[in-house]
Amino acid sequence: MKGTIKELLKAPGVQGYVIIRPKGIQIKLPAKYRVTDAKKRLRNFYDGLMDRDDLPGNILELYTDNMVIVSCISRNTMLMVFSSRTTNMAILRMTGKLVLANIIKEKDK
Amino acid sequence: MNQEILGELENTRCPEIIKILSIGKRTGRLCLTNGAETANIYFQEGQINHAQCGAFHGEKAIHESAIWGSGEYRFYVDDTPDMLTVNHSVDEILAESAKQIRQMERITSLIPSNSMVYELEPEFKDREITIKSIQWKVLVHIDGKRSIADIGQIIGLGVSDAMKVFYTIIRLGLIKEASETRAEKTDVSIELPDTPFVSSIKDALTRAMGPIAPFIIIETAHDMDLDLLNDNMDSRASLIETLSSRIPGESLSLNFLDTMTDWLNTGMDNQ
Repeated sequence: MKGTIKELLKAPGVQGYVIIRPKGIQIKLPAKYRVTDAKKRLRNFYDGLMDRDDLPGNILELYTDNMVIVSCISRNTMLMVFSSRTTNMAILRMTGKLVLANIIKEKDK
Repeated sequence: MNQEILGELENTRCPEIIKILSIGKRTGRLCLTNGAETANIYFQEGQINHAQCGAFHGEKAIHESAIWGSGEYRFYVDDTPDMLTVNHSVDEILAESAKQIRQMERITSLIPSNSMVYELEPEFKDREITIKSIQWKVLVHIDGKRSIADIGQIIGLGVSDAMKVFYTIIRLGLIKEASETRAEKTDVSIELPDTPFVSSIKDALTRAMGPIAPFIIIETAHDMDLDLLNDNMDSRASLIETLSSRIPGESLSLNFLDTMTDWLNTGMDNQ
């Protein structure tokens, strides 16, 4: 596995993703999510997490009625993967980790 | 990954290696192994910025590994940590480690190893004593079967701290060496089932952790109450994820994840 976004989107149940860095947000979600208004809230969410120096881990899972959001954090980059609740969570977390590691590697080049 | 220095801890103890790497202003990861235990100490231009040993992070992790008198060490050039947990200078850390080693030498003169098993002293002389809460926590687990290492693990104490507590309560006359001096060994066989999944996971984990991999697989599957012959995708994915969290070093862990998620995506179809 190369750890590409393409592979992430192919994972069963995955509907989209958001990548947040200090100076930018990249959103790829189906239109039904209405993300236009969400940018500020996502930014606040990211800032709130990054401000803390006592995070117990680097993966955060948010469950809603019809979906699950897995947020992987590494250095100052956060990858949020939006998926259906029937997805295999272990695979989702592992794929998220690999994709984020790849994003950071590409950025460091 | 560039692996540059390696050797045996019998010949060169951890503090000496730290000193050498510090003087050489080296950057990278010093990986120490002592049986099933692994410690990683990260250097940035000769200064230590992160250390991890089992559940311990920071300076405590360095002091835990500093007392190891056997095992191996390897230095991986330019490996950097995910977090920073050490703030003191190398000299301050080494001074504290030297103190700990001296203390440990005194302790090992009374307790030869952490596999020793103790039981309560029935002939305790009637006198008033005061014990600390940590000593009480240890006492309640002493049953003539569990070893010092077992009890340390139960209450979340590192090897050196557990041995210190035992040293004190032996001196107080509260416990004595158990008549059955050897700890009951857990019945763990290293015979792994011969299936494509188990072979793949064993190969990938051996690349990351060395020959200890089969033990780690069996122990993890046992802890998770998981049958290695079970071909359920969820169980397999959970096992892979848990094993990856046991691999010291982010890049090794990611390589393992990479190989095994590939296997989950393709290997399952080939069975």
